[in-house]
Amino acid sequence: MNYTVGSELPEWVMDPVSAERMRTMAAILRDPNPLHWDRDAVAALPLGLGRRTINQGPLGLGYIVNMLHAWAGAGCIRRIVMRFPQVVLDGDRVTARGVITRFCDEQCTGQAVCDVWLENAERGVLLEGTARVVLPQGIHES
Amino acid sequence: MNLETKSGKLAPEKADIEAISGHQFPGGHYRIAHWENTLLTACTGADLLSDGLAHPIALFHLPIVGSGTSIAELFALGQAESDLSIMIESYDWEFFQSLREETDYKVAGQVASARRCQDAVGNIYDRIQFCFEVFDPGQELAARSTITWHYTRDTL
Repeated sequence: MNYTVGSELPEWVMDPVSAERMRTMAAILRDPNPLHWDRDAVAALPLGLGRRTINQGPLGLGYIVNMLHAWAGAGCIRRIVMRFPQVVLDGDRVTARGVITRFCDEQCTGQAVCDVWLENAERGVLLEGTARVVLPQGIHES
Repeated sequence: MNLETKSGKLAPEKADIEAISGHQFPGGHYRIAHWENTLLTACTGADLLSDGLAHPIALFHLPIVGSGTSIAELFALGQAESDLSIMIESYDWEFFQSLREETDYKVAGQVASARRCQDAVGNIYDRIQFCFEVFDPGQELAARSTITWHYTRDTL
């Protein structure tokens, strides 16, 4: 398959973001922050988020990783830098998307740099960043 | 003297925050267990990767725990007002090789920078950046994680 600068990557959807998964994640990460497992703690914040837990940052980043893996294969990521302008909440339907911004030079042949983001239909872009990935056999620059 | 925030609470002294820059964590090792990778991957909604590959999001907790610290200690190091007061600026993950299950990784980590900042509406916060390096059993650099958090003061 041929890709060019500006080509969109196949999207990856998480529907819905699950509070139960956040609780498991909190245990694995040894993350004491109640925002990830206590809806009352979130409701008490003056942020108007309601009784919905907040997804861990790495978990939202994981959806971007899954999109890149689905496109270019496991182990394809060389670098990923993400910022977190908005929170991801339990019950959200989120879509990971990306677009190729450039192909790398001789020193990282076969790699592409992509803008990547996670979006929600109501709230817009929740996470945004860039990723450098190795292009697998069968995906070509054109 | 401690800086007073808008509501009169005291923020940590700027000098105390800046002093943690360069702080080295004890260092140590971490092994991603198969069960751990299975649960971690399931949390992302993906199927377990083949050939013992660990899901890349392991690069968040592997270095923290492996370097001998914890999320709670990172919060405390920056004198977080509460667990709720930490905001993520960015995560920068570099992979020089894929992470694998059941592999002993050596980890070194430090506070890369710590500085007092002010946002557009005048709220102060402390921007603290942690950098961790993960080495494979052959001592090759396998991955690097740079975490940048904002320790907000009196904004919640």
